Amino acid sequence: MIETALKVLFILLYATFVGFMFMGIIRIVTARIHRRVGPPIYQPILDTIKLLSKESNITHGFIYDFGILYAVGATILAVMFIPLGSIGVLRAYGDLILITFLLEIPMLGIMFAAMSSGNPWAGIGAQRALLTLLAIQVPLGFAVIALAEYYGTFSTYEIVMAQQISGWSIAHFPLLLAAIAYDLVLQAMFGKEPFDIMIAPGEISLGPMVEFGGKHMGLLNIQHAIALFAETLFFSNIFLGGGVVTAFSSPVLNTIAGLLVLLVKQIAVLLVATFMAAIFPRFTIDQAAKFYWKWPTIIAALGAILASL
Amino acid sequence: MEEVTFKIAQESKVRKKPSFIKPWLGLKYLFKKPVTIKIPYEMTEPAKDYRGFHTLNWKTCIGCNMCGQICPARAIEMTWIEGEKRPHPKIDYGRCTFCQFCVEVCPTGALGFVESYMLTTEWKEEELQLFDWVPIPPEKFREIQEARRDWKFPVERMEFNKETGEVTYHLRDGTEFRFRILGYGLKPPAAKPAENKEAEKSAEKQE
Repeated sequence: MIETALKVLFILLYATFVGFMFMGIIRIVTARIHRRVGPPIYQPILDTIKLLSKESNITHGFIYDFGILYAVGATILAVMFIPLGSIGVLRAYGDLILITFLLEIPMLGIMFAAMSSGNPWAGIGAQRALLTLLAIQVPLGFAVIALAEYYGTFSTYEIVMAQQISGWSIAHFPLLLAAIAYDLVLQAMFGKEPFDIMIAPGEISLGPMVEFGGKHMGLLNIQHAIALFAETLFFSNIFLGGGVVTAFSSPVLNTIAGLLVLLVKQIAVLLVATFMAAIFPRFTIDQAAKFYWKWPTIIAALGAILASL
Repeated sequence: MEEVTFKIAQESKVRKKPSFIKPWLGLKYLFKKPVTIKIPYEMTEPAKDYRGFHTLNWKTCIGCNMCGQICPARAIEMTWIEGEKRPHPKIDYGRCTFCQFCVEVCPTGALGFVESYMLTTEWKEEELQLFDWVPIPPEKFREIQEARRDWKFPVERMEFNKETGEVTYHLRDGTEFRFRILGYGLKPPAAKPAENKEAEKSAEKQE
């Protein structure tokens, strides 16, 4: 029991810390592409500390507070289900559909909070976010089906173990198609540039985030960090072979090596997303919906069909 | 009528085809050195004759108020200073736009400017006084500017005694610059009130 609690604590701290480092990496890499120096890598942590220590906190009622806690909670729950190398609390139960679902729940929580603030910008942002959410479901569903069809299981952990034997998922052509579709979907899940329509800085003044400040925004930053970690972790688990290392005799060394391998894979996923965010301009919401129902859907559906043959 | 030919570029030559591949060329700066000046650690050099703060040669200023008349922001007020026959301009940097028309128009060349441009204060009354000054002579300003080369305002602290009109500039090289303001405007101030005040003061001291 205590061991499980310690594991949960470790995963939570690790996910938060690495997630903040990821946010820092995104800022530095974006700055370098712009030929700037950028902030130090720990800048998001300082931002969050500053936000959490704000004196005035505006609230618009119960749902406004609850929505954010709901988002944070759902993200943490998602992390618990995804196998983190050989560490995992609920990994035996973490099937693909559940995790995909849990990774989208936070957006709903933020929507609740944003809508209850009564700000029209937040309303527009919520509308756009929900439409994006709707649009990414189709390719996401096909990608998940392709995986499940290929490996014959929905369990994430079993998929990771299967990749130990048969090589990474992206080495197989049908799953490569699914991975490409999933990577395009990730862009919207991160809230990164071509599909950052729901946040849209400069266009609808931060959309759902417009009304948040102080501790609410601080919690949302933490949520964003954990979500970044969870989404990259999920992608590296199902498509890039996870982080199971059995090269050393000591289990502790194996665990640490697994975490490092995973970290490298996660950063690779993150960098691809950052590059795309830095070089492509934002879609409008109708373009995004059309795009997601067109190319990623076709690619992922093709992958699913090929996987089932 | 004379015929005029216009050159019009063809639209097919101007319009570019949208591309999915080309944006990736934007990544080419990723491993190049950033073109950033790290300001607290590296200093930038302003251009020569960058329009910064003013200098005033107190010996050649004839108090003609040409600068006060041309100033588009009305930032210049003539000030009567004890020991000077003519009024000198006092410049309010809260209003000044640094167009340097006043320098251009000055008939004797007494008003000048240097490259220093940095003046930051906190929101305190005594610090805000820094924004309102009778410029110091150019030699002194240049000396301070050359010594530090950080392009800051040469006065660290200003003391203004409203009762007696005594002004003290604590310059950045540690020296003090003192004078006494007798009055403002073009007309010479009545000498009597000041004397009276002095008399009163001495009387108080005696008591």
